[in-house]
Amino acid sequence: MIVTNTETIVGYEIIEMKGLVQGNTVRTKHAGRDIAAGLKNLVGGELKGYTELLTESRREAMQRMLAQAQQLGANGVVNVRFTTAAVTSGAAELYAYGTAVTLRKIG
Amino acid sequence: MELIIELLLFIVPLVVCGLIIGRTVEKNHFAALDRREEANRDFLLSNSKTFPMAAAGSQEPTMVTSEVVIGSDYLKSFLSGWRGIFGGEMKSLQALQVRAKREAIARLIDQARAQGYNAMCNIRVDGVTVVGATKQNNKMLMASVLATATAYHAATPGSGTSSHV
Repeated sequence: MIVTNTETIVGYEIIEMKGLVQGNTVRTKHAGRDIAAGLKNLVGGELKGYTELLTESRREAMQRMLAQAQQLGANGVVNVRFTTAAVTSGAAELYAYGTAVTLRKIG
Repeated sequence: MELIIELLLFIVPLVVCGLIIGRTVEKNHFAALDRREEANRDFLLSNSKTFPMAAAGSQEPTMVTSEVVIGSDYLKSFLSGWRGIFGGEMKSLQALQVRAKREAIARLIDQARAQGYNAMCNIRVDGVTVVGATKQNNKMLMASVLATATAYHAATPGSGTSSHV
């Protein structure tokens, strides 16, 4: 499964468009991360807990999107984009979407 | 009276702590970023969608992603509240955003290199929401970034195998 965030892929041509595939996840931090981040707030620097939260969300959302692409019988997903949205109860949603296609190698 | 002394004994060390350590952490981070960017000079970066200087017949391109969340120190978070009254440029937040974005791109390069690529196109750097928008979540000044790009093989100059798509 080839995944890119460009619309076309060099060396491949799109022979079939399978449609829009998407995956999302809504995650919230747990109290431990919040406390650690609060402590980090004293001195600044990278908030590793939140970074991990974002990484997990991204992995989960992409996994779901690729699962959908697999189901459609595609062998590639192009033009992948991410957006986020804040949910008022202290959580955030990460939404990944792309176009599932069938690719053929050329040249 | 005692309460005021107690508060001062508590708050002042925290603020000074933040000031000294925060400044050092930021300075070190900028120095590290400069070093890494210097080392990554040979890596071809672009935000074009058309795979500039792609090498023919190479490994298939793939997407790389990276995330960074950087928080500010206590004093800056506190002072940024006052900025809201007077308006103008928030230099501390600007520095925070720059650090987060440069770090995200440096991580993208590391990931692409690890998989054997030497070029990246369609770099997209987006600010993202990590936590929900409730009042208690906004007391900390932070910059969070999600960066994506497509890594591929570019023809190195003089190798004569470039194919412009």
